[in-house]
Amino acid sequence: MPRLVVKNLRKAFGTFEAVKDVSFQVEEKETLCLLGPSGCGKTTTLRIIAGLEVPTSGEVFVDGRLVNDVPPQNRQIGLVFQDYAIFPHLSVFENIAYGLRVRKIPKAQMKTKVHDTASLIGVDGILDVPGKKLGLSDMQRVAIGRSIVLNPKLLLLDEPLSNIDAKARERMRAELGKLQKEIGIATVYVTHDQLEAMTLADRIAVMRNGLIEQMGTTSEIYDRARTLFVAKFIGSPTMNLISCELVYDGNRAILKSEDLALDVTEFGETIGGKAKGKELVLGVRPEDLSIDVRKTNSSAIEAEVQLVEPIGAKSIYHLRMSRLAVLAKDYAMLDIDVGSKVWATFNKDKLHLFDKKTEEAIL
Amino acid sequence: MVRTKVAAKGIGRYLLLIIVSVWTLAPVAWMVSLSFKGPIEWYAPNLIPIQPTIDNYISLFVPTNPIGGSFFFTSITEAITKPLINSLIVAGLGTIFAVLVGFLAAYGVSRYRAGGTFVIFFTLLTRMLPGATFVAPLMVFYASIGLIDTYAGLILLYTAVTLTYAIWLMKGFIDEIPPEWEEAALLEGASPWTVLRKITIPLTKGGLVACALFILILNWSEFLFALVISVTQVTTLPVQISKYVSAVGRMYGTMASIGLVATIPSLVLAYLIQKHLVTGFTFGRVR
Repeated sequence: MPRLVVKNLRKAFGTFEAVKDVSFQVEEKETLCLLGPSGCGKTTTLRIIAGLEVPTSGEVFVDGRLVNDVPPQNRQIGLVFQDYAIFPHLSVFENIAYGLRVRKIPKAQMKTKVHDTASLIGVDGILDVPGKKLGLSDMQRVAIGRSIVLNPKLLLLDEPLSNIDAKARERMRAELGKLQKEIGIATVYVTHDQLEAMTLADRIAVMRNGLIEQMGTTSEIYDRARTLFVAKFIGSPTMNLISCELVYDGNRAILKSEDLALDVTEFGETIGGKAKGKELVLGVRPEDLSIDVRKTNSSAIEAEVQLVEPIGAKSIYHLRMSRLAVLAKDYAMLDIDVGSKVWATFNKDKLHLFDKKTEEAIL
Repeated sequence: MVRTKVAAKGIGRYLLLIIVSVWTLAPVAWMVSLSFKGPIEWYAPNLIPIQPTIDNYISLFVPTNPIGGSFFFTSITEAITKPLINSLIVAGLGTIFAVLVGFLAAYGVSRYRAGGTFVIFFTLLTRMLPGATFVAPLMVFYASIGLIDTYAGLILLYTAVTLTYAIWLMKGFIDEIPPEWEEAALLEGASPWTVLRKITIPLTKGGLVACALFILILNWSEFLFALVISVTQVTTLPVQISKYVSAVGRMYGTMASIGLVATIPSLVLAYLIQKHLVTGFTFGRVR
């Protein structure tokens, strides 16, 4: 039985519909990530699951039980807030023990519970430190500790890394991932950072304007984006998007834009019916565009290098194919510099094709 | 070089503190001096009384005891014990009610936007006119509902006029507390009242204390309303002080001694709560 089922959730604030129609489920030990730009309804969804907001319509089931009318404290849900919300006037021990105290758990039992939790999350050395003196990474641990001490069925995390500077975030993301594995609890994770989502989630639900655009595993989302929005939102650097149309030259199918013509005869049959006569958008991830100083195959396209961003073993090349600006990510090559002429080859197995009007994927 | 610089900085700091202390304490010293002087010295410039006397203090509690002969007989027949107790009751309860109601109102405004933007600004109206402009109609109104010269009347009035301060001050302190803290406690199983008691109030304690002291001092020294509302039963200390006028002039020594007695409760209170005052006056930077 899934740990969490969300069915046709809607939430309106006045005339503004924050969540339009959201349904998903989370299995035991699974981490689902709600990913989307700010204002897409992901935090509202989370707050509805936690019971901090009342949905306009729709149902939330935790462990098979309908919890719409159950107050937050009885839903068996742990929530980690964006700012962690560690009680500043209480010690680490009291912060973790808070829920147990409120529930009048016997003292001896409470102590063992707090100590067990503290050693699991690695804060057993600082139990006496008051909340306001904690560093960010300890706060994160304590916040998680506090939310799991009551053995919740479900853990909710609301952008727990977004207020942390980039360097610390990388480390804390890894720590969070490790903790998650150790705790092994069904989790809903809200973030606007696609990298966090891809590293921490088993499945990702990409949200936009109160709706889930696409839900699937990391690779499904990355390799088979179902809409233009998902394609643009996931991946760094962003996918190259080129407006084009499908034309036939004899029995060859060609994607043609003002500056580019790409032979796609091998997909002609798959896309033909759906793409014919429509405005299209061709999507190519920078890493699916390889470059070379020589023309190594017949479909390579000539381009001029405008900027090289070295990022280690690979570099990001800003190219111009006549007037079209595209990015390519390929191995760093010493003999390529600004102004160089190069030959770019599209990896045809990884092409994305969208209908410009409906923004839905064709290929 | 560095050392002398640091030393000079220290000396400068102490010099400043001394000046400020003298500045604030000089009137108090003058009041102490005056309260131990007999009538002959009341107009004299010497700080140390030539013939120290405690007659002024005795006359506060035994008003029939004349000071310096019959010239200074007054119409006062009552000891200041009653006004002192009156002041404690009226100022104390007025403060407690104002802070209590103000805190809850501020909480509603801060967390639930209770009353929208209008009501919170509406509360400011009570402070937009000087008390003297509405004290006459107020007196008539009070007389018609039988609140003149009653504790209830004065406490109600003090609560009403200081409530605005309480609401606005407490709103500032509560706004500083992120709602996530309360929501976290709620999720952990605390009831809304427990959240208020265990999270919000402890975190705004400094603010509550500062707010209470501020209002208490206002109430404690309030004169106009007390003068108008009281007749004999609820006379407060400030009103009582004004009564020490004899047939031949003001009784400065006696007034000074009351002033000193009146200072003591606020001093004791401020001493007791000084720990919280620091957080209160830094205006709730709890994070």
